[in-house]
Amino acid sequence: MPPSARAVLRRALRRHPRRLAASVLLLSLHQTCEALVPVAIGLTIDRAVATGEVPALVVALLGTGLLFVVLSQAYRFGARAVVAAWWEETHLLRVELTERVLDPRGLTDPPPTGELLSTATSDADRVGRVIEAASLVVAGTTALVVAAVSLLVVHVPLGLAVLVGAPVLVGALQLLAPLLTRRTAAQQEDVARTAGMATDLVQGVRALRGIGAEDAATERYRRTSRTALASTLHAARAVGVYRGVTTLGSGLFLTGVAGFAGALAFDGQIGIGDLVTVVGLAQFLAEPIGLLGFAGQKYAEAKASAARIAEVLARPVLTPGGAGRAPAGGGRLELRDVEAGSLSGLTLTAAPGELLGVVAPDPRDAEALVAVLAGRLPAGEVRGAVLVDGADVRDLDPTAARRAVLVEPHAVVLFEGTVRTAVDPDGTAPDDRFLAAVRAAAADDVLTGHPDGERRAVADRGRTLSGGQRQRIALARALLADPPVLVLHDPTTAVDAVTEEAIAAGLAGMRHGRTTVLVTSSPALLGRCGRVLLVDGGRVAAAGTHAELSAADAYRTAVLR
Amino acid sequence: MTAEAPQREATTAEATAGSASPDLLPTATGRRAARVVGRYARDSRGVAVTAAVVSVASAAAGLIAPAVLGRLVDAVTDGGAVGGYLLALAGAAVLAAVLVGLSAVAISRLGEALLARLREAVVARVLHLHTATLDRVRPGDLLSRVGDDVARVSESVTTGLPEVIGAVLAVLLTLLGLGVLDGRLALAGLLALPAYGLALRWYLPRSGPVYARERRAVGDRADALLGAVQGADTIRAHARSAPHAAEVARRSAAARDVGVGVFRLYTDFGWRMNRSEYLGLAAVLAVGFLLARSGAATVGEVTTAALLFHRLFAPLGTLLFSFDEVQAAGAALVRLVGVVDLPDAAVVPQRPAAGSRPAVELRGIGHRYGDGPAVLADVDLRLAPGERVALVGASGAGKTTLAAVLAGAVDPSVGEVLVDGVPARALPGRGLRDQVALVSQEVHVFAGTLADDLRLARPGATDDEVRAALELVGARWVAALPDGTATRVGEGGTALTPAGAQQLALARLVLADPPVAVLDEATAEAGSTGARDLEEAAFAATAGRTTLVVAHRLTQAVRADRVVVLDAGRVVEEGTHADLVAAGGRYAALWAAWRGR
Repeated sequence: MPPSARAVLRRALRRHPRRLAASVLLLSLHQTCEALVPVAIGLTIDRAVATGEVPALVVALLGTGLLFVVLSQAYRFGARAVVAAWWEETHLLRVELTERVLDPRGLTDPPPTGELLSTATSDADRVGRVIEAASLVVAGTTALVVAAVSLLVVHVPLGLAVLVGAPVLVGALQLLAPLLTRRTAAQQEDVARTAGMATDLVQGVRALRGIGAEDAATERYRRTSRTALASTLHAARAVGVYRGVTTLGSGLFLTGVAGFAGALAFDGQIGIGDLVTVVGLAQFLAEPIGLLGFAGQKYAEAKASAARIAEVLARPVLTPGGAGRAPAGGGRLELRDVEAGSLSGLTLTAAPGELLGVVAPDPRDAEALVAVLAGRLPAGEVRGAVLVDGADVRDLDPTAARRAVLVEPHAVVLFEGTVRTAVDPDGTAPDDRFLAAVRAAAADDVLTGHPDGERRAVADRGRTLSGGQRQRIALARALLADPPVLVLHDPTTAVDAVTEEAIAAGLAGMRHGRTTVLVTSSPALLGRCGRVLLVDGGRVAAAGTHAELSAADAYRTAVLR
Repeated sequence: MTAEAPQREATTAEATAGSASPDLLPTATGRRAARVVGRYARDSRGVAVTAAVVSVASAAAGLIAPAVLGRLVDAVTDGGAVGGYLLALAGAAVLAAVLVGLSAVAISRLGEALLARLREAVVARVLHLHTATLDRVRPGDLLSRVGDDVARVSESVTTGLPEVIGAVLAVLLTLLGLGVLDGRLALAGLLALPAYGLALRWYLPRSGPVYARERRAVGDRADALLGAVQGADTIRAHARSAPHAAEVARRSAAARDVGVGVFRLYTDFGWRMNRSEYLGLAAVLAVGFLLARSGAATVGEVTTAALLFHRLFAPLGTLLFSFDEVQAAGAALVRLVGVVDLPDAAVVPQRPAAGSRPAVELRGIGHRYGDGPAVLADVDLRLAPGERVALVGASGAGKTTLAAVLAGAVDPSVGEVLVDGVPARALPGRGLRDQVALVSQEVHVFAGTLADDLRLARPGATDDEVRAALELVGARWVAALPDGTATRVGEGGTALTPAGAQQLALARLVLADPPVAVLDEATAEAGSTGARDLEEAAFAATAGRTTLVVAHRLTQAVRADRVVVLDAGRVVEEGTHADLVAAGGRYAALWAAWRGR
């Protein structure tokens, strides 16, 4: 049952009961102590400084000391409990989201990468903060009650005036907040655009230098930077106004309270210490009220983030799959009357151990075929059957199905690590197998051309390798995985003709006796295939060897340019 | 095929042969950074002076209220009138409000203007770095200078700077106020200083490393997460969901543990701060008690002192807790100034006359990266005006390096390049780079509208010119975009196919309109069908120009005026396609393989 936004938040609060309880208790205690500091100062002035009695001073200082000890330790352990629970919740959400994104059964309509990343980082973080918000609501309320009681004990009408006045003041200042938010949002957007442009231009610096466009790019950045500066200054004026008004409001409030309390003290209705206490408390009240506002804002953010998280978690899987294990066999791959995307009634068989070429002049046919074999299409959008050694892949456990038929995507993704781990992610292959795969993919230069050899670092997505190197390393990875059926889609588009020929030979050697399907239009690769199928209009239009098919015009145009 | 491989990476932004760890860009000293910032500030002297004066005044105005409250207490004790004090309080509130607002604006105006100049200078320098430098420095370092470092300094300037300046002034003036009130009370308050010092001495050595560890842990986590999300299809294809998810979980847990540890340290610092606050407050109250008892101070003065000292808690906390941030911003600043201080390589371009078609000659070219093996040796090659030459060879044969030498992106170790007989060194402006445009396989789609991307090549290009360039390279897909050439592309915009991105690069070449064009594997990234369109596009974009094409697809060689076969850094065959095929040499064998027999 996929969770709703509310459920995500509820779960966040429920699954850390001990830490939540500790933080609520300790942070309330901390706020109470904070409220009592001005009271303590007032009492010390009243009972000790004004009277000159030493024992009173000792008692006052010891009492204040105790207050500070409780205050600081309550915050120390209370805040730790909050933060520990918050990080833990964030971690749990992040793991849950990752597992969902990587679910072997696939994810329907996954959100774009950037969005997913921000959901798994910022949104998870904001949901975690709901724990903080909950603790602060309780703590802030407690502080308000303590302050209220202290004020009412001093003087009931004065206390009431402060208790009504402080929230009204804070509320009035909040009216300015939208102006501030609007301008800061615009400013942050402009600054972010400037930052994004800088990164973007630097990432493309070679392209810029290639056409001598570095001056144009510099000028474009300068203009964007000036726009950001203008909007930052625009926002700074709003901040200035906000700070000014806040200072004015609290200053006038203080004047009013001091006037009221001063008059009472003048009349002898309250003592000097009471006067100091009231003034101190009036200044302090802004803190818990601010806390409540802060908590409310955090809660609103958490709710919006929880909705995004729930939305990802609630997405249906692509292919439910079954529980079946892959049947033992020689790797016979069969497609029966498959209709999916542009495919209309595609039927083909790759016999165990066969090296089969598939030429699809319409790239949509190639895409659809590869997507069907990779299980990347929703179950409802594929008609017909895909069988591996006689078993329908829909009945297989998705992981087992992927292990039986490995489809190496055309868009190469390598993972961070070394060349060795990029080719052999499990780290279980013996050296000779590893080297054989690398050689078959004609990727040995990636190792030998570098002082670190196979330990050469591979950055995330293989950014530190050239396109051709990436493609060959990915091919080596697929060859080393040695699946019963291997499907490769345009595996040599980023390599030159000489290397392509070497790959064709290496590939055929390494996959000898294993079923391999090459979806390609490369004559070098097709020439090695025992049989080639020409797919046209979503179905097989012709079959034969590369040489035989080359007699047909349609085939020649497709592969011989 | 493997011996000379490293030269590929040399132009694909990675290590050069023989040097395992690439260089970092320079970092300035703290003193140098201060001088540069000082110079910027002098340029906006008026704003700087205003900011200083207003900030000091606003901090001073904040002291009026506690002082008046003290007098009020005395007045009440002595039975005096309170009305005047209330007026003073109200007046102080108005004054403080105006000054606080003004100082926030003034500090921003100063800081933000400096920041804008700094970031513009940094980006300008980085964009003008010589290709050799670009090859040498770590790409991550380059990006973190214009990205993280600018962001960190900017964050500090926008939110941190006004607060820190305000806090420093508040602390100084409050201490001054205490001193004016009563030197002995001020001294009592100062008793807290050693305690603060101890707290800071305990905290600082611990915080730096922990924060660095936290940044690393969070970075590691982000890398794993990014890899998992971007590679989800590949991970599923290889049935490796479980290990990848476990890796993300492991790093996320590590980041959580470090994060909780950092906070634990922060709270340990927190109670030490509270302890210092108490010591100071208790000292003020105790000394005040003694002074009041001996009649050396009034109860009101003691009240003022206690309130003033209580008011110090907030700004002191701001200062001490922002210590790390200030340190981090300082570290980022010296890295930025390090870039600004790089020699200015910007030269006014001297564009050749439109339509000029020079002859280009490579004479005795040899090259090695650092002290690595020779990647090019004894290369002599002449391109006649308007001639199209295809360069063919295996991975690692030196094709990319030769292309880079011709384009002026790599200065060869020996030999020279001549344009119409003039050596590259003697050419005006940016030399070879003004004559030759290079399109490599490292395509990049610039974020912004499609038209903006193209106008990088020719800022003043009209809409018609932009459309014509796109048409010439056969970018018919533009019509299908939601807003045509006004569609946002690149990071955060509509994603283009690799072939589309490469067409865009070729359209930029058309707009840049160089006499000489070098295409390095400009058709490499596309799939089989896209490659054919790209080949047409490349042909059209370079028509009439003196052109060198690094050919992956031999069909490009067929259409060239001449084919040059490179092997292990040397020219081994040269001639027209037909001649070379007829000669039955290396090229002929390649051609046979390419045709698939």
